[in-house]
Amino acid sequence: MRMKIGFEIHEQLATKRKLCCDCPTDYREAPPNTNVCPICTAMPGAKPMPPNVKAVDAVIELALMLGCEVVLDQPIYVQRKHYDYPDLPAGYQHSSTPIGINGELVGVRIREVHLEEDPGAYDPVAGTVDFNRCGVPLVEIVTEPDMHSPEEARRFLRQLMLVLDYSGRVRPEPGTLRADTNISLEGGTRVEIKNINSTKGAYRAVKFEVMRQKALIERGAVIPYETRAYLESQMITVPMRMKVVDFHVIPDPDIFPIVIDRARVETIRKRMVEVPHQREQRLVKQYQISQAVAGVIVSERELADLFEAVAKEVDPKLVATWFQTNLKKVLNYMKLRAADVRFTPEQFGGLLRMVKDKRITPEQGELVLRELVKQPAELEKLLRRIGIPITVELREKIKLEDRLKVVPLKHGELEAAVVKTLEENPKAVEDYLKGRKEALNFLAGKVMKLTRGRADPREILKFLSAKLKGKKKRRVSRRTKRSK
Amino acid sequence: MGRGTLEKLGAIQQGELSATKNVQQALDRIKKLDKKIKAFIELNPNALAEAEAIDRKLKRGELAGKLAGLTIGIKSNINVKGLRATCASRTLEDYVSPYDAEVIRRVRDAGGIIVGMNNMDEFACGSSGETSSFGPTDNPAAPGHIPGGSSSGSAAAIAAGMCDLCLGTDTGGAIGNPASHCGVVGIRPTQGLVPAHGLIELAVSFDQVGPLAPDVYGAALMLEIIAGRNPNECTALDSPSVNYSDKLDIDIENIRVGTSSKFRELTSPAIMKVIDGAVEKLHHLGAEVVEVELPNLEKGLSAYYVIMSAEFFSATRKFDGRKYGRRIEEVCGDEVLRRIKCGEYISRMEQRDKYYKRALQVRTLMRREFKEALDRVDVIVGPTVPKLPHQLGTKLSPAEMYAYDYLTSPISLAGICAGTVKAGEASGIPVGLQVQGKVLGEETVLRVMRALEAVK
Repeated sequence: MRMKIGFEIHEQLATKRKLCCDCPTDYREAPPNTNVCPICTAMPGAKPMPPNVKAVDAVIELALMLGCEVVLDQPIYVQRKHYDYPDLPAGYQHSSTPIGINGELVGVRIREVHLEEDPGAYDPVAGTVDFNRCGVPLVEIVTEPDMHSPEEARRFLRQLMLVLDYSGRVRPEPGTLRADTNISLEGGTRVEIKNINSTKGAYRAVKFEVMRQKALIERGAVIPYETRAYLESQMITVPMRMKVVDFHVIPDPDIFPIVIDRARVETIRKRMVEVPHQREQRLVKQYQISQAVAGVIVSERELADLFEAVAKEVDPKLVATWFQTNLKKVLNYMKLRAADVRFTPEQFGGLLRMVKDKRITPEQGELVLRELVKQPAELEKLLRRIGIPITVELREKIKLEDRLKVVPLKHGELEAAVVKTLEENPKAVEDYLKGRKEALNFLAGKVMKLTRGRADPREILKFLSAKLKGKKKRRVSRRTKRSK
Repeated sequence: MGRGTLEKLGAIQQGELSATKNVQQALDRIKKLDKKIKAFIELNPNALAEAEAIDRKLKRGELAGKLAGLTIGIKSNINVKGLRATCASRTLEDYVSPYDAEVIRRVRDAGGIIVGMNNMDEFACGSSGETSSFGPTDNPAAPGHIPGGSSSGSAAAIAAGMCDLCLGTDTGGAIGNPASHCGVVGIRPTQGLVPAHGLIELAVSFDQVGPLAPDVYGAALMLEIIAGRNPNECTALDSPSVNYSDKLDIDIENIRVGTSSKFRELTSPAIMKVIDGAVEKLHHLGAEVVEVELPNLEKGLSAYYVIMSAEFFSATRKFDGRKYGRRIEEVCGDEVLRRIKCGEYISRMEQRDKYYKRALQVRTLMRREFKEALDRVDVIVGPTVPKLPHQLGTKLSPAEMYAYDYLTSPISLAGICAGTVKAGEASGIPVGLQVQGKVLGEETVLRVMRALEAVK
């Protein structure tokens, strides 16, 4: 069944001051109703200050990043959108006419991008309102209904979040996203869903709604035009008891229209960051890496920045592989984002060079990387920390990188460790011989521990397999003997 | 009181009259007269203390400001920290201002002593002073008649000598109209000349704070104190500060004064007779009188009421009953409710093109028409109000009431400035001459007003 899905996305802009007054925007930290003034609480007679230039610039930048044309040399009106709710002290919300129009992101057309203002935070249970948030500038992004499945919708939202994240112009804290979506199935009616707070939520809401509408259409029922709310806890949508409201929109007579000239747009365009999907294409071309790897690398702006810095030092393809597998793995395991990484590109580059020159094994390299992420230090220190020995002579003779050269284990050393492991873990050996392959990994881990991580895991596996094969043969022959 | 603003300032500066004594006299006079006139809603309990502070400054020979020691009345829709800005409405009955309006800050800096908050039409919705929830104001210059509105209490306070100067506000004639009926001087400044921060709006795009005074000098002095850019406001003009009061007595020879036959069409003959006399006087003083075209003048009134209602509806949404006493619709008077309902209707999505948009077109038309006329002359003079004030308590239809604004609302639409000065009397009731000037043409307007005043 064909369907059309569109979004209206609100995100808070990362400005220090509110849109029409000088109050700070850190509504989360401050005690309730402390970051307020007569203007943002709409005290009688208070007049707005001219709209925050940084907020307008941020919206222009986001519009450009979403491929929009910026509305030039024409009045952009800051309008009053009236509705009655405790969180709205003026009884109206400021909302501008479009600043950017006709954009596009991953095949979804962006209808418009404009500026809005956040209301306060109302707690219906306590009956209290905190106006700290009131007046924080928002960007609203409206798409055309160009998505045709919940998966497409999710893909678009992820990409959009990535663009917003890249821009650095929206607040990075989670939970600032607010999305409304509208969905219509072929033969049905357009239904709006409000109250969506995450990409995951949007996907679930759309998925639920498609199912619900499909079932109705199949039963021959008429889908009413309505606004529904997404209930995060139950992952369903329910009708909102809301009248069709007329916002009585008028241009705010308190605020002169905003007029944007070309010079302003060009200045912003110059300092604007590269959009992730364009960066992805560039990385593919410039570094001759696969689309998939490039996709992983651009998934965080800082990750991509780091990649390009390291790729200057070492073979980009090796860097790309390491980013996609090892670094991502380590970061995910430690629940870190690339932005949290504190080691330098040179440190990482040095590590990769050592791997490349086979001075350490890739597995040792990953161990070093873990340490590097935990606590950046000189490679030599890290190697020592995890027990990879460095001889005195070597340290004397060679330069920093060469100093890091690792002395491999002697052949006998590894063999001894393997034998010891097999002796100490008869149960695992038994399991393996019964056909449970995972037991081998367990044993390999034990060997790794005994050799303090210095051994090459492939070597360990080779030795282990060989020894175990020997045991198996012996066992089989024993059994044959007995049966005979 | 009797003496002019300049003389009184001189007396205070010379030490002949202390600020404290001046304030005491004002308070005594208010106490004596205000039960009947109802020009004030609330008095400033700190007025005497503030006066004493000014006296100490003067005694030490310090600069105490251009308004030092003068008593000032403030319209109740302007925020004065610590006093109630009720807008003469039950909605804001208990609203004590937590901040000073920008104009109040300037008045205080200039040494003006705020004696109290003046009565007015509820939320400035009225042309007679009768819609106040605190009772109607009487006209000291024509007892038993309306003082005009909505700055009713301010004009009456000046006319009764209860204070030296007042700050009123004008949206569609609310300074000129009561100034005319009470025989005092009032100025509606050019849109955006005076900061609006702290003025509780009737219709933001028209609202202007302006002075009411017993004489042109007083009005000029107050205007130069409050005028000038406030960088924190969006709609403030980037205007230089002008010492209006220094340039009042330059003669008006070679000034071109425009009149329009439209005024005669819309105005009662008794008033026109007084106005003709005033124009004649200006002519004798050397002004050149020429006829100008204002072909669409009468269209202004209805366009004004459309835009004003839409903006008023919007402005009153904050009075939702959650923060300031009860919801406005539950406690306001008929006129306020009428304008809210009108505004709600007009600003509906399906109605916008029909009313609001067309009214905005008339606004552009009015701006152009006055610009063209004022390109040919320095000022345009005519009556401020087309009819004499009615007796207090007379029932008027809304249309009859709105008709008081025929000649003032076009000025608001055009965004230009205008001053009212007493031209004479008809049946013993004051009649004001309205002097309309170019954008930021206050200096010339005040000169013409002063010339006429000096003849009397």
